[in-house]
Amino acid sequence: MVFILGVNFPERNLVAKSLQGFFGVGGLTSARLLSRFHIHPTCKVGELANKQVLDLTAALSDMKIENDLRRQVLDDIKRLKETGTYRGRRHALGLPARGQRTRTQIKTAVKQNRIERRL
Amino acid sequence: MARQSPRGVVHAMQSVRSTTSLRAFLSQRSAAPAYIIPGASLSTRTQQWKNARGYATEVQPAAPEIDFAKFHTQPTRIIPRSPAYFSGSPKFIDHLLRLEDILAKYVSLPTVSAAEAPRKAWFKLPQFRDVVGEPIATKKYKGLLKLLQRLNRIDPNLMPKAVRLSLDDFIRPGNPYGNKPAPATVDNLGRARGKGKRKASSAVVHLVEGNGEVLVNGKTLVEAFPRVHDRESATWALRCTARLDKYNVWVAVRGGGTTGQAEAITLALGRALMVHEPALKPTLRKAGVITVDRRRVERKKPGHVKARKMPTWVKR
Amino acid sequence: MVSSFCWSCLTRLRQTPRTVLPSPTAVPRGPAFHTSAVRFFPNPMMRKKPGQELGGPKYRQSKSARMKKKKPVDGKARPPPVGERKALRKRIVLSNPNALEVEGMQELTEETMVDSRLRGNVLALPVPMLDQLRAVQAFKPKQGWSIFRRPGTVLRRETLEMGRLFDNISGVGEDKGTAVKKIITGSRKSGKSVHLLQAMAMAFTKKWVVFTVPEAQDLVSATTGYGPLSDENPNLYVQNEATASLLSRTLIANKTILSKLQVSRIHPALSAVQPGMTLENLAKFGVQDPASSWAVFQALWAELTATSATTGLEKNFTPRPPILVTVDGLAHWMRNSEYRTTEFEPIHAHDLVFVRHFLSLLKPGKDESTLPNGGALLYATSTSNNPSIYSFEVALKQVAARHAGVDPSAPEFPKLDPYSNPDSRVLEAFISTKPTSAQEGMLEVQTIGGVSRDEARGFMEYFARSGLLRETVNDEWVGEKWTLAGGGVIGELERLGRRLRVAAA
Repeated sequence: MVFILGVNFPERNLVAKSLQGFFGVGGLTSARLLSRFHIHPTCKVGELANKQVLDLTAALSDMKIENDLRRQVLDDIKRLKETGTYRGRRHALGLPARGQRTRTQIKTAVKQNRIERRL
Repeated sequence: MARQSPRGVVHAMQSVRSTTSLRAFLSQRSAAPAYIIPGASLSTRTQQWKNARGYATEVQPAAPEIDFAKFHTQPTRIIPRSPAYFSGSPKFIDHLLRLEDILAKYVSLPTVSAAEAPRKAWFKLPQFRDVVGEPIATKKYKGLLKLLQRLNRIDPNLMPKAVRLSLDDFIRPGNPYGNKPAPATVDNLGRARGKGKRKASSAVVHLVEGNGEVLVNGKTLVEAFPRVHDRESATWALRCTARLDKYNVWVAVRGGGTTGQAEAITLALGRALMVHEPALKPTLRKAGVITVDRRRVERKKPGHVKARKMPTWVKR
Repeated sequence: MVSSFCWSCLTRLRQTPRTVLPSPTAVPRGPAFHTSAVRFFPNPMMRKKPGQELGGPKYRQSKSARMKKKKPVDGKARPPPVGERKALRKRIVLSNPNALEVEGMQELTEETMVDSRLRGNVLALPVPMLDQLRAVQAFKPKQGWSIFRRPGTVLRRETLEMGRLFDNISGVGEDKGTAVKKIITGSRKSGKSVHLLQAMAMAFTKKWVVFTVPEAQDLVSATTGYGPLSDENPNLYVQNEATASLLSRTLIANKTILSKLQVSRIHPALSAVQPGMTLENLAKFGVQDPASSWAVFQALWAELTATSATTGLEKNFTPRPPILVTVDGLAHWMRNSEYRTTEFEPIHAHDLVFVRHFLSLLKPGKDESTLPNGGALLYATSTSNNPSIYSFEVALKQVAARHAGVDPSAPEFPKLDPYSNPDSRVLEAFISTKPTSAQEGMLEVQTIGGVSRDEARGFMEYFARSGLLRETVNDEWVGEKWTLAGGGVIGELERLGRRLRVAAA
């Protein structure tokens, strides 16, 4: 088991996949992180050198991920609402915010567009 | 009446003509007791007028004697030349009658079987309609063709000239049975050429004597056909005649998939091989190499899901 | 028939109780004018018992045979242990006890490998050598070794030529110590990898040192670790694990030779290496400590290509043997690798020091030959299953033209399409001018095609004698197979030989 940014990862998992477990790290960010520290894409967590683990942790802690990112997203939605913009209103109503049609197919918006968005 | 039918025009013309002749006849009759035939009326009149101007005081010469025989032969209406004029298709019936006459005349001549009779390309029905310019029913034309075929079966050595000439009237121009393809030969470089088709593929094979190398579109047999079965079927013509190591094959094949291409090559190769060795034909026929498989994919039809499949039946 | 309808029984018929007859309400009746039998429809009000299907027709039901649905796989079944499936995939079986032993089969020895009388025969690989060949991964999983009693290869024309070449390099004649450089191309299954295998086997019989890269693609597909070579040149990358595994391959395969040679130079990069230790121990350093593997490899290479010792260490120097280097799948090294720089730019394969080292061997050395003790470079690339790299294709044509003596300024020299976007580094890698040293051969391209009919016949007879083929092998039959195999492509011949076994059974 290897700790990266305080999270424990099993050794047989791929590093690229494990990094994507963090909120805010997707495929591209993870690949860029790997290449930054010369880790090949098929590397397993167990194969990481200690220095690479520390480097990864340091890099991740500098990034805005996890709760910081969640808070920022919520703040953004709240700001939209408070300044009274159209997008803020649409979020409050639970409707699509980017000019999509609302006659059909708005399930995603109903589910996600809220002031207190679940992330 | 803005427009008149042709028949109406003819009627009008006839009535005018008859009335003019009648009028002239009446006037002449009043002036001088003479019959004037309609055709000559103008010339006599001018003559009269000239005479009247030059010699007004001279005694008029008498009108010529009426030739009653001539007068009576001139018909009052035009008599058609053919008795079948009012049948709707007179020319066709004339032809038919003529052929029937000829047949009746020469029916006793010896005949040959239909297969031995010289092959003739008779007019097709639409063509024949154009030639005679009459509407002809299919069935009637078939009857005519039967007559022609019967006449054609007269022994060619004994066939009278009249029959031959009258049959020639019904042969369509160009004689399609006359130009046969030239028999394929091996060219001066020792190549025999064969073409074959199967499904959507068509292949051209050049076959030369050699040692068993095969090139398909410039590639080796292995590169062209990854499947061994396709390779075997492509070279089957040579294999079944045990000639695989005696010829070199150069193939250009286009269209379709691998199976189609392989089997198109089979056919083309068989045909090319027959150019080199015509005696192999029975073997190749037996091996199924030179039998053309002319099945193609049936087209899709509107209203169908595929060529024949109908959409599923829904109750409502 | 008669017994069922006798008059005496008719009397009994009358006494049949009414209840046996179907009651008018139980069986539905069609209208009176229908003559056909009425199908039995279940009462719609009655609920169907589960599992009991009544014979009534169902509309819109498929008539095809109903297959049993597969039960969903139990989720609790454990997957096989890590690496097991890959090991199964990569497993190489070299012997089949069910196959017949071919009597009088000759082995590959120093004498047989140059004997042109044996051309077309299948020569067995010596059993003690198999471990060495396995160590350098000379066998590939799908080469069909597992259908014969023992592994053997056909002695074809190219093999004999190569055998003579190796004989001369190891011999005492004027060709002693020459370096041969070849790029081997050919279509799929034409026997390129087996050609390399034969080269390795010959090198082992001649006591050469063998370096192999069994899969060039593995170096560039980003499946092994990488890192910058040093701080001085951050644009070069070293692959420590791959280098370590190369060292371990070399070590196991060439143990006897390396254990007799000693370090005769000073290697400042490796403090632990003392002059006088064997090269075997030197290589072990690299295997044990992957971080220093590249330095160890360089040291090993410098030792093996040395022609004399540095001053003061002469007592440690013994003449070095020739070297054989084989690479399989060269085309993969001619484009960007899957690795990325820190800026997420792709790394060109030529920026990997491992690749760069082996490619630099193709160029003629500055003062002396790249392989001063002689040897051969055999780099194989396929013309069928490989990345199509335009620059590489042109480069190979240029190499062939240069070897044929065509002047590069001549009009018939292969030129690049002016509108193409060539990879100048690839072209650069194959520009090999005439070598200055007489000992060094010029880079050439060897195309491996099909075998001749005689060789094909020998190969097929080997199948027959191994009990795989139940046909009489005659010239006509072989000629047919030769054509079907696209002009004697040996892999296809093998496929046909196997296939017939099924057809005959």
